[in-house]
Amino acid sequence: MLSKSAAKAFFLIGTGISFLAFVGLTYDTFRQIPARTHADQITPEVARGKEIWDHKNCMGCHTIFGEGAYYAPELTKVMERRGEVFVRGMLRDPAAMYPGQRQMVQYDFTDAEIDDLVAFLTWIGHVDTNGFPADPPLRQHLAPAASADGRPLVFQQTCIACHSVGGAGGNVGPALDGVGTRRDADYLTRWLHDPSAVKPEARMPQLGLSDAQVTELVTYLGTLRTEH
Amino acid sequence: MKYKSQKVAYWFFAACMLLFSLQIVYGFIMAFAHMGFDGLHQIIPFNVARATHTNLLVMWMLLGFMGAAYFIIPEEADREIYWPRLAYVQLIAFVLVGVTAVIGFHFGWWEGRKFLEIPRPLDYLVVIDVLLFIANIGMTIWKGRRMTTTSMVLFFGLLMAALLYLPGMIDTNNQTTDSYLRWWVVHLWVEGVWELIMGGILAFLLVKLTGVDREIVEKWLYVIVGLTFLSGILGTGHHYYYIGTPRYWLIIGGVFSAMEPLAFLAMAIYGITMWRKAGRHHPNQIALLWTVGTCVMSFVGAGFLGFAHTLPQVNLYTHGTLVTAMHGHLAFWGAYAMLILAIISYSLPLMTGRKRYKGPTASLAFWASNIGMLAMTVAFGIAGVAQVTLERRMGLDFLDVQKEIQVHFLGLVIAASLFTVGAGAFIYDFIRYGMPNAEPTGSPLEDGDGDQDESSDAELAPEVAE
Repeated sequence: MLSKSAAKAFFLIGTGISFLAFVGLTYDTFRQIPARTHADQITPEVARGKEIWDHKNCMGCHTIFGEGAYYAPELTKVMERRGEVFVRGMLRDPAAMYPGQRQMVQYDFTDAEIDDLVAFLTWIGHVDTNGFPADPPLRQHLAPAASADGRPLVFQQTCIACHSVGGAGGNVGPALDGVGTRRDADYLTRWLHDPSAVKPEARMPQLGLSDAQVTELVTYLGTLRTEH
Repeated sequence: MKYKSQKVAYWFFAACMLLFSLQIVYGFIMAFAHMGFDGLHQIIPFNVARATHTNLLVMWMLLGFMGAAYFIIPEEADREIYWPRLAYVQLIAFVLVGVTAVIGFHFGWWEGRKFLEIPRPLDYLVVIDVLLFIANIGMTIWKGRRMTTTSMVLFFGLLMAALLYLPGMIDTNNQTTDSYLRWWVVHLWVEGVWELIMGGILAFLLVKLTGVDREIVEKWLYVIVGLTFLSGILGTGHHYYYIGTPRYWLIIGGVFSAMEPLAFLAMAIYGITMWRKAGRHHPNQIALLWTVGTCVMSFVGAGFLGFAHTLPQVNLYTHGTLVTAMHGHLAFWGAYAMLILAIISYSLPLMTGRKRYKGPTASLAFWASNIGMLAMTVAFGIAGVAQVTLERRMGLDFLDVQKEIQVHFLGLVIAASLFTVGAGAFIYDFIRYGMPNAEPTGSPLEDGDGDQDESSDAELAPEVAE
């Protein structure tokens, strides 16, 4: 039968070996972190962005590297998924981006602060996270949505968050099927530059799209015509 | 209770009860926000509620451990606390720092690092406070008449917990390094040294409540804490899968964290075996129920449910979802909250000289809180699995999925209400016990000495005057 001193030896030796192994692995990890995280790209903007991230306790709702709270979306790859237009819009005025939905705190960030946060999130997106977050493996089994071919990137990242085409997309704003029949290019251009200038009670925010992006979107929206 | 100074534990436990009730309130705020009722958003946004909820938990756990140590160490070391007044000063200081931190959260004074939100200046105060506590119990053991395994395990657990707080204070502008070091505190606390503390408190309770020979209890204590560190230290790797650290952590973290349930399984078997071997029928059966309960529920919550999503191929999809909340709630409840409620249930009759443990509210407290917490775990689990399937595996948008799973938060709120009834009954009993007695009480409660079971200590443990 096991004696107390043998049990004590098991505890001390086991703990000692584990501790040494852990210290060794930590040493190696710290050696590899700079390359895996592109630490040379941590510019002053990125560092300030992290300060804002910490200072506002963004992790209290969001996750980053999957760490944080589960009240708001995972943000490791947000720049790739949503793009700069959407992220900036959200940081400028979250309530305008998702009216009547789950709310984000209105932080009233300055443009410089938004630049810093965008730099931080862009840097985060390039860290080698061993494949996290994974591509959804069952996506291909879903009913095929309208072909995404030919859509401008900004449409796929930003517009689709609130609007749907062919049943796929958000339901905050109206579906865009047939919008090319309902509205002409001039109306769409004015609308995209500033929705409230066209319709004062419009709930869609001014997204700060560039002229090139607006042109691209108007061309694409013009192809969404009702077939009859 | 053998020594007058032990009764400082009462005030630590009273502070626990206060913070525990506040913690529940903030839990409800978050559950309602998840259901779409976020009317408090302007005053208490989710991140404030979240930081408050988790930090109150950490604070009342630490207060519970300190109270437990102030109760256990004098008895084990066979002397009064070395600096009894310091214990009170240190309690008041800790509560003041804690309350300041929580109020500060509501005004955006925080660090924004999960579980370690307490702002830096207060971090230093916490460290000083805990070091004073360590010095106090250290001196008590040092100047005491005997040094038991139980008190040494408890002491080193507390000392390591204080030291491990320090890596979390290293400044870095690299999110990966930041996260790496943060887990040194958080993981090595809850899946490392806190288990040492847990083992020490459990051993004390089992010796007292079951009358099983101290040598046997302490021998298995070594085996359990040995298993804990063997799996738990390298098991930290399960936090290093996806944060920008090397790929080998997937294997190391996977293998060692898969072994972590063994320590909890051993703890469950240990508790149940000692309970069955009990040589005497201790009158405080409810304390024994909490003690055996914590052994079993820590295995279910920390061991089994932890294992359920610790393997990297599973964690790739469950990481950062409500599945974590499922595991987290039952793990903390089973391993640490129940343990503290066990030591409170055991010590309160001794400190106050009243025997309320036979009343119906004591049973209500145990069963309602446990059934409520299990039901909460199920609600989190269903919501979590639905979230993983829809969002992570099928690729639906985050907010669309959140609307789909809102209904499970109704289930959560109902379960949490039952839990609150149990917690309320416990706190009601705590209050009805009244103030601790000025004089130590010992044998009248056929407790507190347990000399017949500690034959080797008998000559060293003369009855203290009462």
